Amino acid sequence: MSNKAYLELNNIDQMFGTYQALKNVSLNIKEGEFVCFLGPSGCGKTSLLRIIAGLDTPTSGSILQAGKDITYAPVNHRDFGIVFQSYALFPNLTVADNIAYGLVSKKFSANDRRVRVTELLATVGMSGSEGRYPAQLSGGQQQRVALARALATSPGLLLLDEPLSALDARVRAHLRQEIKQLQEKLGVTTIMVTHDQEEALTMADQIVVMNQGVIEQIGTPQDVYAKPNTPFVAEFVGEMNFLSAEVSGVGVMQSAGLTLRCDQSSHLTIGDPAQLAIRPEDVRFQTEGEEDNKMNAKVLHLEFLGSRMRALLELENHERPILADISMNEMAELNLIQGQSVVCQLPHDRLHVFGGKA
Amino acid sequence: MSGFSVTSRSSSKAGQPWYGRRGFDEWSLGAILTLGIIGLFICVVLPIYTLLSKSVENKDGDFIGLANFVQFFETPSLFSSISNSLFIALLSTVIVTSLAFLTAYGISRTRIPFKGLFRIVLVLPILAPSLLPAISLVYLFGNQGILKDVLMGASIYGPIGIVIGSCFWTFPHALMIMLTALANTDARLYESAEVLGASPMRTFFTITLPAAKYGIISVAFVVFTLVITDFGVPKVIGGQFNVLATDIYKQVIGQQNFEMGATVSMILLLPAILTFITDRWLQRRQSALLTSRAVPWTPPIRKVVDKAFFALMIVVCVVILGVIAMAVYASLVTFWPYNQTLSFKNYNFDLMDGGGWDSYWNSIQLATYTALIGTGFIFFQSYLVEKLAGFKLLKWFFHLFAILPLAVPGLVLGLAYIFFFNAPNNPLNGIYGTMTILVVCTISHFYTVCHLTATTALKQIDSEFESVSASLKVPQIVTFWRVSLPVCMPAVLDIASYLFVNAMTTVSAVVFLYSYNTSLASVAVLNMDDAGDIAPAAAMAVMIMLTCMVARLVHWLLGNVILKHTQHWRQR
Repeated sequence: MSNKAYLELNNIDQMFGTYQALKNVSLNIKEGEFVCFLGPSGCGKTSLLRIIAGLDTPTSGSILQAGKDITYAPVNHRDFGIVFQSYALFPNLTVADNIAYGLVSKKFSANDRRVRVTELLATVGMSGSEGRYPAQLSGGQQQRVALARALATSPGLLLLDEPLSALDARVRAHLRQEIKQLQEKLGVTTIMVTHDQEEALTMADQIVVMNQGVIEQIGTPQDVYAKPNTPFVAEFVGEMNFLSAEVSGVGVMQSAGLTLRCDQSSHLTIGDPAQLAIRPEDVRFQTEGEEDNKMNAKVLHLEFLGSRMRALLELENHERPILADISMNEMAELNLIQGQSVVCQLPHDRLHVFGGKA
Repeated sequence: MSGFSVTSRSSSKAGQPWYGRRGFDEWSLGAILTLGIIGLFICVVLPIYTLLSKSVENKDGDFIGLANFVQFFETPSLFSSISNSLFIALLSTVIVTSLAFLTAYGISRTRIPFKGLFRIVLVLPILAPSLLPAISLVYLFGNQGILKDVLMGASIYGPIGIVIGSCFWTFPHALMIMLTALANTDARLYESAEVLGASPMRTFFTITLPAAKYGIISVAFVVFTLVITDFGVPKVIGGQFNVLATDIYKQVIGQQNFEMGATVSMILLLPAILTFITDRWLQRRQSALLTSRAVPWTPPIRKVVDKAFFALMIVVCVVILGVIAMAVYASLVTFWPYNQTLSFKNYNFDLMDGGGWDSYWNSIQLATYTALIGTGFIFFQSYLVEKLAGFKLLKWFFHLFAILPLAVPGLVLGLAYIFFFNAPNNPLNGIYGTMTILVVCTISHFYTVCHLTATTALKQIDSEFESVSASLKVPQIVTFWRVSLPVCMPAVLDIASYLFVNAMTTVSAVVFLYSYNTSLASVAVLNMDDAGDIAPAAAMAVMIMLTCMVARLVHWLLGNVILKHTQHWRQR
């Protein structure tokens, strides 16, 4: 991976009538990176992908691919392969003809085409399906053929528009791995649009979290999960409990009668409203040693999730209950039952602090 | 985004090349789309505009406001045509709508046998010109008719004949809409009704009828318009009973009073426009009723109901076959009613007025050209409207122009063509009186249904095909040829067959436009009947019907034998 940006988006704005779909989006993608655009529907992730593909034109801003300005280049002058949610396989053409579709215009000889098709089918693990028609393939197989077709012309950029969302859960998990491995092997710069945070976390080198037309955070999956920049990211990627609070001192917050210690926040001063956030798996129950941030809670409800138990806790003085995940090993020792009171701890190094009211 | 809104924001577009972000490919296709719009504008919009302006002009071309309309309403004989037309149209509408509902119900909601056969027989009238039932009725109930006594002294020449004839030829149109309306059932609704203890009667009135409501309204409007704008049937069997459609014909062909013809046309345009608006409104409503999760309903065994419907189907089929058989028989009888031996003497068209066998071959030529050129033009233009990126404003206008012909009765369109193309200052004046104008007029006349068929088929294919092929750097036209066209082949065949059959049977528009060299079979039927050669007229009508049957057979063969072979990709 070189450090130079392969794809550069500068201050992209996109208006649909009076509705602003994208607001001042800037982004650099390095060569060979796997980037996920993650966000809820309507956040602008698909609009951004369509602009990169040239299917839509930005209202303002510019796009550079490998140093060349492609903002207004027609689709067929750009260098990318694309896989759509529907796969858009040509139903009347065989698998081989589908994959070779772009090779015909690239002046490959018939023999070279056949060799390339065989090679690509082997790459996506579908050797021997040359003569079959899309309708005879399962969803997962269609998706592989679509991938092979997009890769046939060896594009510099691979665009995937929610490629896994039409598949059932088991096939999806399996294909996730395969696509990621294939991408690593080929080293092709890849952008995938998804609304599934798990998909983004498992596949991406960089995640671009988007909401309402703006980029909320860009970072590695670990960063985005462990250090969310905004409450939106915190809640959208993984699960998060929020407590409203007020800054009462340096590294000290007051939340409905509870005094909580947390990491010092540079941009908040005493008296400011704030939100404290903690992930369910970070709530602790075995609290030997540390005395900070302990409180009484009542177990309102327990839900068995297989590998862990999810507890709904009512904290003292707090109306909104929080979620806590307890591993089954820990559960064996704690033996929680519904309605019971328990002491829990919100470790200060696991508390996220956001400014503003909830 | 469309090209229009892009150019309007030129300030932020400093880096954009002058030709925008479309490739050469897209610009060429856009140019073809523009040509298509210009074509439709010349062949549909301008003629109708000319007609509108004629209706407010006098013979010298001066603007006289609504004087023509005032004159029309003050002439008692002309004005009575309105009430006559309304009476005929309303009565036919009631009869056809109820019959179509009952027969469609029989086909889609009962367990009667031979449904396929019944279906074929019931739509047979669509293959014959509307003049055929009228001629047949003359032989059945006319002055020398074999069943004359059934009428108990009443004359078939007049309202009775017009209503029966109109019902006969409009029935298949009504049946097809009704079948679509009744095809969508949801078994879950019927099961709920049963569980809740509703009687069959109550189920029918609360579930079956409401679901078919829009179909029924649509049928009523369509039949009303078809009957009120048709002039073939009243011309042959109407006797002294004047209706609006025959008035136009008489004003223009008989008295050369073009301005009054235009005025009557404007009045005829009203019900058609009303139908058109209702239909648009209904379609928006209807689509909301369907859910993709509906479970098809299988009719239960109901012995009495099934028997009743079976009897009804037999009766209707016997009537249809009887009318057709009468025409065929009459065409074969040497000299009715004196020499009943069978011969092909009446098929010796060259001995009669009306253009002889030449007019039959002209019709074949017209139908072939219309089917080939029309299908090519309509399908490709619909493809561009549906699948070419951008050009939003152009597409909007195209759609508007393509829908317009549905609201214009053939008679009105034919008259509009005279006014527009026969004007000495029109550079296209040269095509007047040639086969070209007949082809152009016929394509325009039947444009809308074909356009909608093509659009529906195109909407069903993945909207991303064009994006994928662009990303693979394959020109869009290649993808059209390799993917879109083969996938839509069944719809293309439907359009071609529809255009062929309609070009063979239509009389209304072309009756104003044929010349000595381009007389047509359907017009020949009219003219021979007018000249008193009823048997040869029946013979020509039979020839038209046989030709249409052959066309349908070819369509079926192409669709079921050849397409099955090349379209095996459809099977899983």
